[in-house]
Amino acid sequence: MSVGGGGGGAPSAYDPKKLRMYGLVGSIVGIYLGSILNSALNTEVFSFVGAIAAIFAVVMGANSVRRICAYGIGTGVPSIGMLALGMGIIAVMFGLSVAETMGFGLLGPIITLVYAGVFGYIIGVIANKVIKFNIPVMEEGNADLSMAGALAILGWSFAVSGTLGYADIVNDVLMTGYIAIIFIAGGLAILHPFNACLGPDEKQDRTLVNAIMVGGLAMVATGIAALATQGLAAGLLQLIIGFALWFYFFKMYYKLVKRDASAVVGTGLLPPTVQ
Amino acid sequence: MNFDINTIVYILEIIVGGLLVGIGVHFVPVGGAPAAMAQATGIGTGTVQLAAGSGLTGLLAAGLMMSVTDNLWLILASGAVGAGIMIGSTMLTGSWIYAYAVGVPFASAKVTYDPITGLSQPPYIAPGTVGHGIPTVCFASGLIGGMMGGLGGAMIYYPLYLINGNAALSAMFAIGIFLVNAVIASWNIQGTIEGFHDPKFKKWPFAFRACAIASILLALASVLITGGA
Repeated sequence: MSVGGGGGGAPSAYDPKKLRMYGLVGSIVGIYLGSILNSALNTEVFSFVGAIAAIFAVVMGANSVRRICAYGIGTGVPSIGMLALGMGIIAVMFGLSVAETMGFGLLGPIITLVYAGVFGYIIGVIANKVIKFNIPVMEEGNADLSMAGALAILGWSFAVSGTLGYADIVNDVLMTGYIAIIFIAGGLAILHPFNACLGPDEKQDRTLVNAIMVGGLAMVATGIAALATQGLAAGLLQLIIGFALWFYFFKMYYKLVKRDASAVVGTGLLPPTVQ
Repeated sequence: MNFDINTIVYILEIIVGGLLVGIGVHFVPVGGAPAAMAQATGIGTGTVQLAAGSGLTGLLAAGLMMSVTDNLWLILASGAVGAGIMIGSTMLTGSWIYAYAVGVPFASAKVTYDPITGLSQPPYIAPGTVGHGIPTVCFASGLIGGMMGGLGGAMIYYPLYLINGNAALSAMFAIGIFLVNAVIASWNIQGTIEGFHDPKFKKWPFAFRACAIASILLALASVLITGGA
């Protein structure tokens, strides 16, 4: 149950508009950069760029989860993360497939982004007008979430398959079942940060650092999948970078937890002694 | 792909499937976190988890049946029964824990008499709680909800498979459509519901409208995708 935050909206040090710009530009540029580098140099080692690009999208998604759920949606934070990934996977498949059918395979991410944004906005309007949520940030928050979910899935799918071609992604990511890992790991990266940090003392920087941390873990998972699809070099590189990201941001997260906690004390060893 | 009468049938099937999922969620006795502590009636987890669990089981059951036959009715029945078994066994094992481990009598706080057994409910409700366990009416309602979810999942999967001929792609796409509809419906009930006897159940027309709009958009996108290979 989401009880934290109350009804006033979440106070934020980083402007949501700026985070959205960074998230969208970072992930789109990253996915294209990885794809162009991979095809120009005829290699697959740059697949990790796609996984890093997905983390930009995850940060944007975690921020919009935080904004919406601070109002209290009554069904728990995980539901909105699953919605984000549900909308995202449809947008990705639609975007890549339509781009391929039209003959412009490279347009895939753009079509994905546009469909995700429009669909997310409509879901937000439905939530406010039909279900009568009356949450002021619902429309733009849902559009953000949908785009973040789509770009995260696209980035990690690219990280596993190494190309943006629809047929390759279907064969390497969907038919092999790695999409399930991406689905759950990506969903966790978007929904877990606020779910873990919610409450009256929730701070934006701590939540977003948590998002990057879980994104790093997801990158380790895609790295393991890439070992099987792309071979040792590309997979191992991704695994190591993912682990390094996780380690660095875990340290940072722990520092922020200590900053925000009133005290951090040891509980001693089990079993507890009777006093 | 070429647009013909079949495409319209596919779109309609996906929309009906989405609506079944959305309405089915209203039947499932979702208790959320309070039920996990035996302070509210229902299964102690969220709507999306339950709906997704039963729907995906239905999807798998439908997919398995589809590998043997292409008879629509058998596939739909298989999906509904698969999801019904899943939600039924969840409620049954949950009930064992409520009865033998937590030690609460099953009682609903939303009705004075259980509509199915006619037994009085208020004397068994512990003070400070809003019912506990899974009473008969909730169990029956949950079975109906699970079967509707499975039917919906099968009804989404069947046309998707006929459109693109790729089982993995259709399954993932169906999961996406399923989750969107389940989350919208769970927002409508604000997280918890006991079943068809709950006053909140009367809110289903809102979810019907919302899921209809969402399903139309999803169905239009899904008839455009291809199988890839």
